[in-house]
Amino acid sequence: MAAFFVWLEGTRMAIAVRDSLMLTGALSAVHLVGFTLTTGGALVANLNLLGLLFPDRPPLEVTRPASRGIALGLTISALTGVLLFAPRATVASVNGIFQMKMLLLVAAVLFHSLVHQRVARTATSSSMRRGTGAVGLVLWVGLALAGCAYILLE
Amino acid sequence: MTLHQLFEWLEATPLGVMVRESAWGFPILVAFHIMGIMLSVGTLVWFDLRLLGVSMTGVRASLMYRRLMPWMFTGFAVMFITGFMLLAGFATNAYGNVYFRIKIIAMVLAAVNALFYHRLTERRIVHWDDSPGPPTAARMAGLVSISVWMTVIVAGRMMSYTMF
Repeated sequence: MAAFFVWLEGTRMAIAVRDSLMLTGALSAVHLVGFTLTTGGALVANLNLLGLLFPDRPPLEVTRPASRGIALGLTISALTGVLLFAPRATVASVNGIFQMKMLLLVAAVLFHSLVHQRVARTATSSSMRRGTGAVGLVLWVGLALAGCAYILLE
Repeated sequence: MTLHQLFEWLEATPLGVMVRESAWGFPILVAFHIMGIMLSVGTLVWFDLRLLGVSMTGVRASLMYRRLMPWMFTGFAVMFITGFMLLAGFATNAYGNVYFRIKIIAMVLAAVNALFYHRLTERRIVHWDDSPGPPTAARMAGLVSISVWMTVIVAGRMMSYTMF
């Protein structure tokens, strides 16, 4: 894996990003747009399951569009994230905060796809819905905080 | 007092000095500022998409606004307070920064757009509240809102790369 990161850092793409502060800034800015769409969608979907937003609407009516927003945001953030990661792959990959961010990203996406959407689809108890909303919210907010921490403490 | 002098004064206030010189003040403020985006623009987008007739068209537009409003306004409050504190710390750097100016212009446009929507377009909401396809004026309000807030986010992030 370490050899792959060394190779990634040496690619023309990584060098282009490393050599241009404006390109890094532009990628980071678009990464933040993706973050806004992702976390906004996640917030709406999980607050709904918690009964704090649109409690009178069927969960699927909220989860379905919110999931599309999350998917769009994640696509934007992942594409720009790879480009931002490439020039600093060897350092970032061993950074504890970055590792935590990636772990939370995988956990949040898996939880949303495998648990959240199923709970929203099937008529389960309100405690099940609330529990799912709470776990989802902790994962997505944790991911957002890890993202902030990585930017600031790197 | 010119705007530049005002910014110099702001930077010299105890608040400006604290933000600039404290080891943790800056990162904590930026973190809150970014989390504020999630609450504010992150939720506002859903109302804008409803106005555009793109998402959650089964929910009345007025209800959508009422339900999202508390989260949205909490986020905007966090964003404005932390944004003002960050500005105080680096006011003179921000003054000449082109992205800061773009950000301010976009925020003024967002305010004018919101005012126009609430004062004029929303007056006739009874005619289209339930409709999955709101009128052109409402769609325009949604489109302008998304565009200007995305501009605010992009310009804000670019400031970090061009100011210091």
